Amino acid sequence: MTVQPDQLANLTLSLLSSVALLAIISLGLAVLFGMMGVINLAHGEFLMLGAFFTLTGVRHGLNLWVAMVLAALAVGAVGVVVERLLIQHLYGRMPATMLATWGLSLILVQVVVLIYGPASNGIPTPLGSIRIGDYSVSEYSLVLIGAAVLLLGLTYLVLTRTRYGTMARAAVMLPDMAAAVGVDVRRTNMLTFGFGSALAGAGGALLAPITAVVPSMGQTYVGRAFMTVVVGGPGVVAGTASAAGLLGGVNSLVSNLTTSVLGTAALLVVAIVILRFLPTGISGYWERKR
Amino acid sequence: MRYPHGRIGLGTVAAASALLLTAACGGNTASDTGSDSKGPILVGSILDATGPLNVIGKPNIDATNLAIKDINAHGGVLGRQLKLISYDSQSDNAKYTQYANKLTLENKVSVVMGGITSASREAIRPIVDRSKTLYFYNNLYEGGVCDKNVFNTGPVPSQQLAPLIPYATKNFGKKIYIVAADYNFGHISADWAKKYAKQAGAEVVGTDFIPLESSDFGAVINNLQAAKPDVVVSLLVGGNHTAFYRQFASTGLNKTMKIVSTTFGDGSEHIVLAPKESEGVTVAFPYFQELKTSENAAFVRTWHAAYGQSYPYVPNSAVTVWNGWHLWAAAVKKAGSLDRDKVTAALESGLSIDSPSGKVTMNPGSHHVTQNVSIAEANDKHGFKVLTTNADVPPAYENSVCDLQKNPTTNKQFTP
Amino acid sequence: MMSTNNRSLSGSVAPMWRRLRKHLPVEIPGAVTVTLAGAVLATTVAPFRALDWSLWVIYGLLALSFTFVWGRAGIFSFGQTAFFGIGAYAYGVLGIDLFPQTGETTTALAAAVVIAAVVAATLGYFIFYGNVGDVYVSIITLAFTLVLLTFMSSTADPSYHIGQALLGGYNGIVGVPPLMLPGGGQMVSPNGLLFTCIAVAAFVGFGIHLLLRRPFGRILAGLRENELRTELLGYDVRRYKLVAFTVGGAIAGLAGGLFAAWGTSINPSVFSLPQAALVPIWVLVGGRRSLLGAFVGVAIVQGVSDALGGGGGSATPIVLGTLLIAVVLLLPEGVLPTLSTFARRFLPALGRTSVDAGPAGRTDSPVGDSVIGGESRKATSITAVDVHKRFGGVAALAGASLEVAPNGVHCLIGPNGAGKSTFFNMLSGRYRPTSGTVLLGDEQITLRRPDERARRGIGIKLQVPSLYGELTAFENVWLAAYGAKRDIAEADVRAQGALAWLHLSEKAQQPAGELSHGERQWLEIGMVMASDPKVVLLDEPTAGMTREETMRVVELIHDLARTATVIVVEHDMEFVRQLGAPVTMFHEGRIFTSGSIEQLRADERVLDIYLGRGTSHVGS
Repeated sequence: MTVQPDQLANLTLSLLSSVALLAIISLGLAVLFGMMGVINLAHGEFLMLGAFFTLTGVRHGLNLWVAMVLAALAVGAVGVVVERLLIQHLYGRMPATMLATWGLSLILVQVVVLIYGPASNGIPTPLGSIRIGDYSVSEYSLVLIGAAVLLLGLTYLVLTRTRYGTMARAAVMLPDMAAAVGVDVRRTNMLTFGFGSALAGAGGALLAPITAVVPSMGQTYVGRAFMTVVVGGPGVVAGTASAAGLLGGVNSLVSNLTTSVLGTAALLVVAIVILRFLPTGISGYWERKR
Repeated sequence: MRYPHGRIGLGTVAAASALLLTAACGGNTASDTGSDSKGPILVGSILDATGPLNVIGKPNIDATNLAIKDINAHGGVLGRQLKLISYDSQSDNAKYTQYANKLTLENKVSVVMGGITSASREAIRPIVDRSKTLYFYNNLYEGGVCDKNVFNTGPVPSQQLAPLIPYATKNFGKKIYIVAADYNFGHISADWAKKYAKQAGAEVVGTDFIPLESSDFGAVINNLQAAKPDVVVSLLVGGNHTAFYRQFASTGLNKTMKIVSTTFGDGSEHIVLAPKESEGVTVAFPYFQELKTSENAAFVRTWHAAYGQSYPYVPNSAVTVWNGWHLWAAAVKKAGSLDRDKVTAALESGLSIDSPSGKVTMNPGSHHVTQNVSIAEANDKHGFKVLTTNADVPPAYENSVCDLQKNPTTNKQFTP
Repeated sequence: MMSTNNRSLSGSVAPMWRRLRKHLPVEIPGAVTVTLAGAVLATTVAPFRALDWSLWVIYGLLALSFTFVWGRAGIFSFGQTAFFGIGAYAYGVLGIDLFPQTGETTTALAAAVVIAAVVAATLGYFIFYGNVGDVYVSIITLAFTLVLLTFMSSTADPSYHIGQALLGGYNGIVGVPPLMLPGGGQMVSPNGLLFTCIAVAAFVGFGIHLLLRRPFGRILAGLRENELRTELLGYDVRRYKLVAFTVGGAIAGLAGGLFAAWGTSINPSVFSLPQAALVPIWVLVGGRRSLLGAFVGVAIVQGVSDALGGGGGSATPIVLGTLLIAVVLLLPEGVLPTLSTFARRFLPALGRTSVDAGPAGRTDSPVGDSVIGGESRKATSITAVDVHKRFGGVAALAGASLEVAPNGVHCLIGPNGAGKSTFFNMLSGRYRPTSGTVLLGDEQITLRRPDERARRGIGIKLQVPSLYGELTAFENVWLAAYGAKRDIAEADVRAQGALAWLHLSEKAQQPAGELSHGERQWLEIGMVMASDPKVVLLDEPTAGMTREETMRVVELIHDLARTATVIVVEHDMEFVRQLGAPVTMFHEGRIFTSGSIEQLRADERVLDIYLGRGTSHVGS
């Protein structure tokens, strides 16, 4: 079967936007789980809140992109509240965090159902589509690719180039040591949790125009996000990027060449195999090799 | 090894006394049970009010409550009021089994109605069959259930696809691509679509099955662009699949391909999507809120009076639930008794009711209903524009394979 | 051992009773009692309640499997629902296919257990023999569960069938037979089902309890607390994890089979994420380690959600979520442990049964040639030949060779980063050399894992105290002894002897984490001794010790050398001098020089290296 150039270009863009999507929905979790070690089972709901807040913003007349940014910040604020009320008592206690965030996810979903109803008007995909030979590609998928790069880059800069970022990483790695050198560990952790939540909110906001925004939408993404973060390993940016690339790429490729079912299965199988042979994830393996 | 008698003793005593204590106090108290011959008649409903299935569950529950109220307002049944015992199965299949047990063994209701997915129906069926309690399944599904104890009011593929595919072929083109949810309903509906397509002289150029948990349709969109069909038959189900219509529109495909569907709208897809994304999607259902019949006008008025003017949309499944309750009430009236076999006989005597969607008749042999099926197009106001109505469309397949009057012991689901 | 205080009954009953009581595991009367209580409950309860509570007992079994696998063995498996579902499907398929021949479905149930166990063993082999740990196990098991969800959901086509049983895709298997006992042909009634479930749960639960009381249970506790230490004591942790995982899978499969029989239907939603997440939630609510807590957790969570379904309306998830958060914040250990701590405060008699600590202190004249009593193995030599180790681009060891004769004592010294720790790890098995060989006596052990080396008689004490903090001092030493001897009685004797020699007998029942730092160091030395090593490797044994304690260590090492070969890595030069043993000095990954401490002290180059002055090079 000969592949036409426009078909190839289309497939490539398709693959890249799948990878971008996976990166976007996982990045927030990479900060919360990969970096802070907090198993946030409410991550899907943070995505969902980001989408709903975007909806609300647009309904009140805001420009879509402005609404997205505000939605991300709003979810960040929610994250800060959650951290203060709940998470800060549970650091280092993985099972307790799991249980508590699962309870939180139940509450968040139902609160949204009560406020917005089980089905509420969404927003269509903005921008148009561009033709590549026989195929047309939505411009928004290009935006997604750009957004993924932007978010990854932003996270990298924040974590490595700002004072906050250094303190955040110190506070997570060696809290006692960090405190001893004057880092306000409690406040830093709160900000980090807020940062991760805001990233999750951004992911959800970016999802809103391409998916059905319903209160239960979080569940679809949380499994994949966890798999991406764990396969990625401890490095927030490197891990997310590499794992999204690998898992998203495999999923997209297999789905396009065969069926969606096999695509889903392929993603899961690849995750299992990677973890079996690189038990600390991709970026963990790179760390060790260095 | 040390034998910690103390610890084992404590554990055993705790467990044993918990069991005995429960036996002593709680084991036998029953709540609402049975229907003595003077008080209200107990009827049961199991639907998902919470969890992902609440998109369909909520309108179903609203319709159930309204139907019961309506029946009671008209004097109830056999001179007695109906008392509804309803359970929220929380989108958890095991709970369907649990609550079915409760309704049949504890509350001893006269009829059970409920179940949204076919999986939930299959969880309820063995329970109600064993306890010989009548059961109505009122949601659209893949068709073929043949069980003396079960009555179905939802539309089936041979009702929806039969008029829809020829309509599509005539008006939109002869090249068809099928996109279906990857589970029983999707596969069977797809088989029906292929059958009717062949009958209408259309060509199926591709079929894609998408897992229910998937919301990424990139590969499907690519396949559609490669195959260039005139018509896309969508048999997608659920919140995740709604993303298909959005992604489809975002690539501008809605300008060159027409989507027809027998599921779009039942899960409030047209509410969630923006008007320009759903505009033009053509569907076939027995009921639309926009149907212009006097029965429907009254019905929608009652609905809005009860649930508010801003209720997003009255879906088809609300009316099939309504039909279920009213058919049962009519059958009990005709039989003059609550006895299951007598009511079954009444239902099998060619019973009809006037529903907001038009006349609805229960088929004696197949236990499925003959009903009107209208073809409509999604409009720009989160609603539909009714194009044409086919009157009295029978469940042709079910009628052809299932005759519970001749073979009352049949108990299976037929597949084409 | 335990002192029985039987009032003597007449005749032959007393000795028979005594023999029975001695050999009969106490779990059996426990299980029988609970089963009888269950019978009372099952016969008095209304049928619909019986069905409801049967489900709770079934879920309780599923939760129990997780309590065992995670609470006891430390493996966070998200896969218990996978085995649950496999058991359920197996029962469904085999029930439909076999029932026409056999007229009963208990065979199908038994087969379901076996199938689930086999799948668990296979997956477990894949995971544990690949050394996957912790969080990664949970993701792999979750992914496995979701793969099953994806595949089972797509088996809608009638061509997916096993014998007569259609897999049915998302709708599931229709026509699953209810539980039918042999010889009946009649389906078990709801009350009968409840009784069956309680009886099964009682015997499985007490069976697990019995299993945990055997050495297996202690080893499991050890590997949960400190996997590295357990490996170093000679236990193949991968095998224990695999066994625990398989047993957990079997129990989950049993629960699954009963579940299919209960509902007479089964569909792929058992493999979904919400179902998988419920299992840890039940266990966390009930109490992570508590076997009874598994059932309590189910009763609470399911009780609340069932009740809310009958009238909670749209508040159900909010109530449930709030309840879970409340449990986490207010009852962090779970319901049952909190209750029992509470109870113990008011009824101290219910506390931990005090157990014999063994005969009172034998300190000075041990029997047998080991310091702590008992026979001991002969010491062997240990040799390293031209060992290299590279980590990425760094050569930590660039060709080190050393031989220590049997019963010899040898010290390794050198500044930080010189390679002595890496060399130590070559001997202990923690790392494998990039090239070179390591010999124990005449046997090549270069590629042997740490637990294999420990079994061959290498005893190791690491720099950082590595104990089982939550186990008692006795249990710590016992595990060391059992790891070497694999005999309960001998392990008991050695453990008591070691504690006595350490003057720690009074603290035998204290958790090791509550001992002082010095006591913990000694306890760890005691563990090494209890394992009857042929070669002892000590990494900075005197770190943090006082002068007197350091002197004691010198004595100890001389005692040890009577029955073992000893290699010590040390920084404390005074200690090294007191020890009076040959010394080897490392520098930049090679052996710089060897000799007595006086010779090295006189060597200018050694001083250069230690004081960091000048540029002395290796190999002069």
